[in-house]
Amino acid sequence: MIDFELSPEQRQIRDLAQRFARDEVMPHAAAWDRDATYPADTVAAAADLGLLNVGVPTEHGGLGLAMLDEALVAEELAYACMGFYTILMASDLGVTPVVIKGTSEQQARFLRPLTEGPRLAAFALSEPDNGSDAAALRTRARIEGDEIVLDGSKMWISNGAEAEWVVVFATADPSAGHRGVVAVVVERGTPGLRAQPIHGKLGQRCAPTAELVLDGVRVPRANVLGEVGDGFALAMRTLDRTRIPVAAGSVGVARRALDEAARYAAERQAFGAPINRLQAIQFKLADMAINVETARLATWRAAWLVDQGRPDAAASAIAKCYASDAAFATANEALHVHGGYGYVDEYPVAKLLRDVKLNQIYEGTNEVMRLVIARSLVR
Amino acid sequence: MKILTILKQVPDAESRVRVQHGSLDLTGATYVLDGMDEYGVEAALRVRESGVDAEIVAVGYGPAATDQAVRTALAMGADRAVLLEGDAFHDPLTVALALADVVREEAADLVFVGGKQADWDSAALGPALAEALGWAHVDWTTAFDLDGDAFEAVHDVDDGSETLRGRLPVVVTTQQGLNEPRYPTLPNIMKARRKTLDTRAADVGQDRMVVTGHAGTERERRRVMLDGDARSAAGELVRRLRDEAKVLREEGR
Repeated sequence: MIDFELSPEQRQIRDLAQRFARDEVMPHAAAWDRDATYPADTVAAAADLGLLNVGVPTEHGGLGLAMLDEALVAEELAYACMGFYTILMASDLGVTPVVIKGTSEQQARFLRPLTEGPRLAAFALSEPDNGSDAAALRTRARIEGDEIVLDGSKMWISNGAEAEWVVVFATADPSAGHRGVVAVVVERGTPGLRAQPIHGKLGQRCAPTAELVLDGVRVPRANVLGEVGDGFALAMRTLDRTRIPVAAGSVGVARRALDEAARYAAERQAFGAPINRLQAIQFKLADMAINVETARLATWRAAWLVDQGRPDAAASAIAKCYASDAAFATANEALHVHGGYGYVDEYPVAKLLRDVKLNQIYEGTNEVMRLVIARSLVR
Repeated sequence: MKILTILKQVPDAESRVRVQHGSLDLTGATYVLDGMDEYGVEAALRVRESGVDAEIVAVGYGPAATDQAVRTALAMGADRAVLLEGDAFHDPLTVALALADVVREEAADLVFVGGKQADWDSAALGPALAEALGWAHVDWTTAFDLDGDAFEAVHDVDDGSETLRGRLPVVVTTQQGLNEPRYPTLPNIMKARRKTLDTRAADVGQDRMVVTGHAGTERERRRVMLDGDARSAAGELVRRLRDEAKVLREEGR
């Protein structure tokens, strides 16, 4: 009943992602981080290999990759650079609501172009004054005939300035709470839409983040996903799925941290022997391995449930929360194993810690994850 | 026309192997398509992309796990695959005779073989296959172009390279520098699922040669440390690379 053997295709998918990560991402990750460079060429190379927008269904020119397959890709790319993987992951976050709720006309219009080049999507839910209490969003959507008019601003939007289009969540009726929320696809270049890049991030510095300002943005009603009022449930269903790649990326960071710590502990001498002879270090390495393995199990199970047609909000939240906490702890210990060298950028461990902090925050903080999990327990 | 590309799966050069009781313990090693064979797959794809109407058949030989290597070739772009499956080790001549049957059955015109098999370090398979077929053979090939049934190839020789011209059929063995093999892209990995993989038991008959024993050689690294300031240490390093290791040559020598 339980089978952890990957299929031949899954092994190839993982090998491809691993090879790409090793050859094209890892050698540049430190420089991208230092200079906060958006690696457009590498995103394009990823698109050429089919690693971008993997969730686009086959009938619209995509691969319709299974969630477990996506988790394999996520782990390998995040092993090389979590920030780079966030660029790809955030695009799939934009794609997902269109896949879940878009009509076939909307899917053809918005998804196919993403398969024809290095083109990104984005997802805009958070606002400057509104994060975890997502239903309290203040961006307004007014219906005027065949158009929707949007006013407000959206915060922390990954790929916000680069995306071809962004799914914007707004309220058509603030008094209706979450039942007033509408999801609208807004294309880049629509008058009134402005992206203000956000600088000074602690980590994931190659992944571009923006504030979106919407000032009388008019889009056709044909861009509404589902009906007015469906938006909030759609956002939650989307995140139930996309938290799994966040979890898988966290596994990749944790595995990298373990590898870096194990390598350093074999090289670094103290008291006349490599420090990996010291039980204090061995226990740290063992704890890191426990983190990597258990985080992967939680992630794969959540992914497997999606692929069985039984997406499970609690399982996704457990995976995201556990894997990102485990990855943060692992990166922290890996840094500690490096001592003073871990605290400077000569070694990659400091970046791992800075990068993976975000995994505990985005796509729902780990406190929100615990609320989601508790909701399945408390009736 | 039809192009065959011969494949073997070998331990990943980066995987960890242990020496136990004088022999290699490969449990836990990961296996990959032999890099030299990968050049062959890439060469076949480039012949087709140059405008030649060709079917490319990947032919693997070895244990069942070789299907991984074969699927890699399918994902790179080969049209279909044949796997001669067998667990036993056979010498290159025996394997070549079995492969020659497949080449004849497929009525192939052009066969690419890895210049060397990375595991046994044997360079005999390609020449033996050409011999078994009575075909021409180009070894250590670094460039290959086809025009109709005429080919032009460049291959390494001891003191440089030679350019050869000939007509199909031919067996071409590969060499580093022939090309830069492509990644199998994700869409092609998915497409490869639907391609045919014909697995048959390898029927090799009697081994032409039998390995009766082997002994390992262990060699310690020399761990030479060069003392002194940077200038004199660098000078000494150059001297040793030139006079002892003979990897450097002075101009005009």
